[in-house]
Amino acid sequence: MTLRTYCLLLLFCFANITLYGQDKVTLSGIVSDADSNETLIGVNILFPELKTGATTNEYGFYSITLPKGTYNIMISYLGYKEISETIDLTENTKRDFSLNESVESLDEVILKENIEKLNIRKPQMSINALTSNTIKQIPVVFGEADVIKAITLLPGVTTAGEGASGFNVRGGAADQNLILLDEATIYNSSHLFGLFSVFNPDAIKDLKLYKGGIPARYGGRVSSVLDIYQKEGNSNKFHVNGGIGLISSRLLAEGPINKGKGSFLLGGRATYAHLFLPLFDIENKAYFYDLNTKISYKLNQSNNVYLSGYFGRDVFSLNDSFKNTYGNTVLNFRWNHLFSDKLFSNLSLIYSDYYYGLNLDFVGFNWDSGITNFNVKYDFKHYVSDKIKLQYGLNSIYHQFNPGEIKPSNNESGINAEKLIDKYAFENALYLDIEHKLSNKLSASYGLRYSSFLRLGQDALNIYANNQAVNFNQQLQIYEKADPIRVENYSRGDVIKSFGNFEPRLALSYLLSNNASIKASYNRLSQYLHLISNTSSPTPLDVWAPSGKYIKPQILDQVAIGYFKNIKGNLYSLEIESFYKKVNNRIDYIDGADLIANDAIEQVVLNGEARAYGLEILFRKNEGRLKGWIAYTLSKSEQRTPGRTNLEPGINNGDWYKTPYDKTHDLSFTSSYDFTKKWRFNANFIFQTGQPVTYPNAQYEYNGITIPNYGLRNEYRLPMYHRLDISAIYTPKPDSLKSWHGEWVFGIYNIYNRRNAASINFQENRETGVNEAVRLSIFGIVPSVSYNFKF
Amino acid sequence: MKGQHIIVLFISIILFSCEDVIDVDVPTSEPRLVIDASINWFKETSGNEQSIKLTLTAPFFDNGVPPANDADVLITDENGNVFNFLEEDNSGIYKNTDFVPVIDLAYTLTVIYQNETYTATDKLLSVADFERVEQNLEGGFDGEETEIKAFFTDPIDEENYYFFEFIPNIPVTPTLDTFKDEFVNGNEIFGFYVEEDLNPGNEVIIRNYGVSEEFYEYMFVLLQQTGGGGGPFETQPATVRGNCINTTNPDNYPLGYFRLSEVSEIIYTVQN
Repeated sequence: MTLRTYCLLLLFCFANITLYGQDKVTLSGIVSDADSNETLIGVNILFPELKTGATTNEYGFYSITLPKGTYNIMISYLGYKEISETIDLTENTKRDFSLNESVESLDEVILKENIEKLNIRKPQMSINALTSNTIKQIPVVFGEADVIKAITLLPGVTTAGEGASGFNVRGGAADQNLILLDEATIYNSSHLFGLFSVFNPDAIKDLKLYKGGIPARYGGRVSSVLDIYQKEGNSNKFHVNGGIGLISSRLLAEGPINKGKGSFLLGGRATYAHLFLPLFDIENKAYFYDLNTKISYKLNQSNNVYLSGYFGRDVFSLNDSFKNTYGNTVLNFRWNHLFSDKLFSNLSLIYSDYYYGLNLDFVGFNWDSGITNFNVKYDFKHYVSDKIKLQYGLNSIYHQFNPGEIKPSNNESGINAEKLIDKYAFENALYLDIEHKLSNKLSASYGLRYSSFLRLGQDALNIYANNQAVNFNQQLQIYEKADPIRVENYSRGDVIKSFGNFEPRLALSYLLSNNASIKASYNRLSQYLHLISNTSSPTPLDVWAPSGKYIKPQILDQVAIGYFKNIKGNLYSLEIESFYKKVNNRIDYIDGADLIANDAIEQVVLNGEARAYGLEILFRKNEGRLKGWIAYTLSKSEQRTPGRTNLEPGINNGDWYKTPYDKTHDLSFTSSYDFTKKWRFNANFIFQTGQPVTYPNAQYEYNGITIPNYGLRNEYRLPMYHRLDISAIYTPKPDSLKSWHGEWVFGIYNIYNRRNAASINFQENRETGVNEAVRLSIFGIVPSVSYNFKF
Repeated sequence: MKGQHIIVLFISIILFSCEDVIDVDVPTSEPRLVIDASINWFKETSGNEQSIKLTLTAPFFDNGVPPANDADVLITDENGNVFNFLEEDNSGIYKNTDFVPVIDLAYTLTVIYQNETYTATDKLLSVADFERVEQNLEGGFDGEETEIKAFFTDPIDEENYYFFEFIPNIPVTPTLDTFKDEFVNGNEIFGFYVEEDLNPGNEVIIRNYGVSEEFYEYMFVLLQQTGGGGGPFETQPATVRGNCINTTNPDNYPLGYFRLSEVSEIIYTVQN
């Protein structure tokens, strides 16, 4: 489909919308938890006679337009008692619903998306949702419940390895995930080099992961969207919950403001492993902490405001000679306004930054780097009719990049102060998404996003002969840095380079029967920011670089097709999806590129491409005492960078090679079993093809040392990865009416103590001088215990 | 400023991780010529005696590498002087005793081995003198290692690149390191050595070689790929090509480097 026909189609559909008749009425309102008043996301509002319905949005709001009449209405949400009643609709009606938690709320079904029959009709595919409760049940290392660890158990989601930061979706790189916390971008999702994620599971209400068919309201990253919403806080009663674990503790307080008109939430989490290290006479510190805050206030029926924030830091220090601090800061003000019962709007003003600081006192070196952005988003959800829902809006982000600043850290230091050149950019987008029920069987969601990226003026922009920042040395057959012929200075208002991209999105679903559907989707996304990293997984000190004169934006096209079936009512469900995606302008690094404190990244990168394809199967048991899922992914993820001319071979001879996160087979099995009211058991099993690596094909001697010689990239693999984790949750007084509720979580990670290789180093033994292959494995068997409480 | 190395070292401390030696099947490539041609002119010596080592690559787990015998090895300088290097007893070590080193003069190496001609050209670069040495017996990340700093002053009016060697008289392999003056231009700076097993009374030979930017880049990558690295933050390893080329058959390129440096050396005894 050309862009022009696509635009025409959009226009046509838009014109169609105004043709709807007038003898219809709109029912709208908010659905919330009766106990805490916390709004609920994704609640189904069903009209069985009309075979139609609506779901609540991220702010708990729903709106549906129906012919006048008297109908049965059902409001259902997992873990809550269903409401079923008759409603008489003669005029536009506002109606809020409060749902009570069902008695066996602990028996909550694990995945809540797609398990209602209605949702197999929705064109949205390639999406997984997890609740905070599900995440807390999965056994993890040290007993620390973790969002990222939980999503890696889903099909199509992996990490490069244990102790690796970030995550990879459908063979995409870790920097290609858009991670949103209350609509604000999070740049680094990991604490302690990927052992934990930055999201405190107590403060999270809901998360959704979009792996494909990404709606037009999202943009800026090509692989996936992880959309996380924090709780608003209980506006009825003051509550505290928390947990005491082996290496960290959490505490979260929430309560009403001004008699339930508003609410607050304040949560904190910190590790205290550093408290124990001095006992072993080690003057090292390694800890992280984070703070989540949110204030919500209902001004009136049509206006809500929210102020939310996140602040997290990792701190390492070693014997005062090394100190490392890094983390994210996010501050976000939002205003929900209802223009009418059909038009919901949200305005967000967002500040977010990522900071990295390193102090090496033994060499007198101090380093700071980071990225800062200011973001304005105005989003509209327009519930035009029961067949058509529109979402449209605009988004402007001002980015500021600090690639590094070096300062002497003490008087004796031999370091000269030096600032790597700051960079600036302005990113804008406009979008329209249409959810359209074409017939009883066929639904479509289609949209268009236009994104533009302006690289703004900076000091000292390098200019190269023929615009080539990398030269190929024909004689030695290697890529080398080009010397700039001059530098140009721009003022902040100048535009050095601009890009604009249309990003069409399309998703279709066709109902085969009441229990089965097929879906297909296509999306194009563009990404203007690149995480500069040539390690197998990102490190906290990697810097972000904007597209510009030498680095082009990444453009992705993805198609996916899937089959979805509910078996025996909702008892079991099956999802099978297949995808193919291609990324243009994926940058790659020339052999031996040194990226640390590099002020001219363009001299070590070339524009290449990446592709991935695969098959994902998810089979779940949603109800009963035994619940869980089996996820299997068969996939391939590759990249290549051919030569720019016939005289150059390109990187890795211009051949396709496996990305470090290519996993041919990825199988995970997650289950929980309610043994009694007091005891629940959980288990995970994970099996993955080993990570692609490069093995040496020879050794040689130079300058008295033995050197392994490496061939082409990632031709070999680490041994396969597998492990089994188990945990037991003990609730001493499940039926207690007292306000204090407590539970113990006992866990064993990697129960059969497999030494999974995180890497294999080929090196000369320093004492014997003999060459050896040394396996580094990060976690053997790790037992843990933690106590969680609520009052 | 090897941030990555530091992190890797660090991660291995905190993560309760464990390392063990395992058996791995690795591929084997055809042997290639390795040229270890380092012309070192130690300060206050004549620099007449020089040697060049030619070897071949070998399978990774072999004990040692074979010498490359019966090659013709010679160096010519810009002024047309020719220095022939002759092999000592099939050792792969080729020697010359009348070499004339001149700072900033360009030299060309020619090696003819098994009817293929290999060449490389480089300049002899100068280096600053060591001025003093400082030690700290309670250094390193755990406060129990011995740190040695060997100070010198970087010339302010040029970009300088350095190559350090630390050779202790205890049974561990020497430590090699590279350094550039990008962030320290014109200052008093130091070569930095940390060794766990080094005790008072032990001696360390500290050498500083003046090298080119190209050699710095070459050695930086080579050292990155030689032990010590690894972990999830390992950079992508690759064949590291030096400055020598095979003019007869370019695909059969050699490994190694032809470098000419002035060398500043100090022998330091660790104090109590």
